[in-house]
Amino acid sequence: MRLLLALPLLVLASCGEAPKPLTEEQSAALKPADARLAALYEGSCKSCHTVADSLAPLAGDRTRWDPRWDQGEDALLAATIQGKGGMPAGGQCFECTPDDYKALIRFMAGREEAK
Amino acid sequence: MSTRRKVLLGGAGALALGAGGLAGRRWYLSREAEPLPTTDAGGRVLWSNWAGNEHSYPAKRAAPASEAELVAAMAGPRPIRPVGSGHSFTALVPTEGTLLSLDRLSGLVSHDTAAKTATVRAGTKLSALGPALAAIGQEMPNLPDINKQTLAGGLATGTHGTGKGVKALHGEVTAMRLVLPSGEVAECNRDTRPELFHAARVGLGAFGVISEVTLQNQPLTRVKKVVTLVDTDQVLADWPALAERHRNAEFLVLPFTGKSVLITHDTTDEPVRPRGADQDVETLMALKQLRDLFEFTPELRRRAAQAAMADIPPEVAVDEGWKLLSNERPVRFKEMEYHVPIAEQVGSLKEIIARIERDAKGVFFPIEARIIAADDAWLSPFYQRECGSIAVHAWYREDHQWMFDLAEPVLREIGGRPHWGKLHSLSGQELRALYPMFGEALAVQRSVDPQGAMMNPFLRKLLA
Repeated sequence: MRLLLALPLLVLASCGEAPKPLTEEQSAALKPADARLAALYEGSCKSCHTVADSLAPLAGDRTRWDPRWDQGEDALLAATIQGKGGMPAGGQCFECTPDDYKALIRFMAGREEAK
Repeated sequence: MSTRRKVLLGGAGALALGAGGLAGRRWYLSREAEPLPTTDAGGRVLWSNWAGNEHSYPAKRAAPASEAELVAAMAGPRPIRPVGSGHSFTALVPTEGTLLSLDRLSGLVSHDTAAKTATVRAGTKLSALGPALAAIGQEMPNLPDINKQTLAGGLATGTHGTGKGVKALHGEVTAMRLVLPSGEVAECNRDTRPELFHAARVGLGAFGVISEVTLQNQPLTRVKKVVTLVDTDQVLADWPALAERHRNAEFLVLPFTGKSVLITHDTTDEPVRPRGADQDVETLMALKQLRDLFEFTPELRRRAAQAAMADIPPEVAVDEGWKLLSNERPVRFKEMEYHVPIAEQVGSLKEIIARIERDAKGVFFPIEARIIAADDAWLSPFYQRECGSIAVHAWYREDHQWMFDLAEPVLREIGGRPHWGKLHSLSGQELRALYPMFGEALAVQRSVDPQGAMMNPFLRKLLA
């Protein structure tokens, strides 16, 4: 099911169609393919990035992530570590390394294959 | 151009300049702080708390996935500071040594259906604990306002909800397993090592690191949540009766408006009515906008607020308690909260509202009032005393010195005990006078951590 939900994202990305918003359920069904990264995601990012009321962009929702992605990965990494707006510093993942953050950002921005 | 027209244009220009000046002043006062470097000179990555008012660059980050790994992690660089979700506004966590996350020590270990108890790994977040307990037909008797904290972090700081006769989270703990700074794994309850149990239940992360907690829960219930806009004078007058009447009651005074938000939860058999979309952000930003426009004209601010809030109907939701008692709270803030003798709550709250409306016109965040039952943990702010809590807040980007200048003196004068995770100025000497068992708790702390492995500068000040 998760794979099926992820497939449209990949197809959209590859044919350049305009992305569509995800629902909370669609977002919550996604998780990183890498098991370790998935554990980090489930323990921290997911509690806000799959809940619309948190105001965080939903994981996998390219309509929300693409404008952020345009800022560049370095800018997104810095904002993640430092905190910005409603986003607390480190995204409440206190064991994450900068490389972990980069991978998590790529996943949530819909730039990496989900499971 | 006529003289009258020149005067009018001049007046309009002055008004525009004035309005522009005020907007510029507010923009400056509410600007985002300059971001901290993501790494220090040694390449250590920044850690900061949720509100962004505390930070450090830990030499090592540990995230044990088992108790054995937790024991090994206790040999890391000093000081060792456990971190939950970083929701404390005080400097309990900052360390140049080991930052120890409990995120991987999460989930249910076992449960007893008949006794309604559950043993839980200490790093479990409250947002995950609610559904996990619901799956076995249990719930915690109460929950705090935010659902992001870990169980260990909530216990360590005396985190609480609200309700007449309802204890804070630690009041329902029946047993704990701690990894002491020496690496020894200690089990404690009321019969086994009772002094450690009483001292470390609200332990500030100073007695070692909790790995497992056994909770006395209750059968899963459905509750009805009602959020009503009321007159502040009325809710202050009715508060003792309201607190008696409802399972959980609290109110949030909206300063400069004459209005408050009353929130009640009561057990019900009514059919489920899921909570609607979050209204808190919209409400907070509306209060901010009113402040931005009418900061220096409080009467206009009050009238505009009352006009805007004239016809807001109550919000009602019915669901399992864990889905309604805690909230997302996506707007970051800083907070001071004291727990005062229950008889003093309304009087001191009135004085704080008056002081804020007289001397701190930039405040727009609500002032929160709750009620918590007494318990017997030695460092519990509710030790042998039913308390009313009073909490003041500031947006994370804005100044909060007014809390110390205006609110804290009122709260201290009536013997208030500060929330361990929220802003306060007290040192060990002052805390000793507020906690009858402070000396005994310190003796236990010294016995399990003679080298001060867990002590950062803030804890040294508190536990002097």
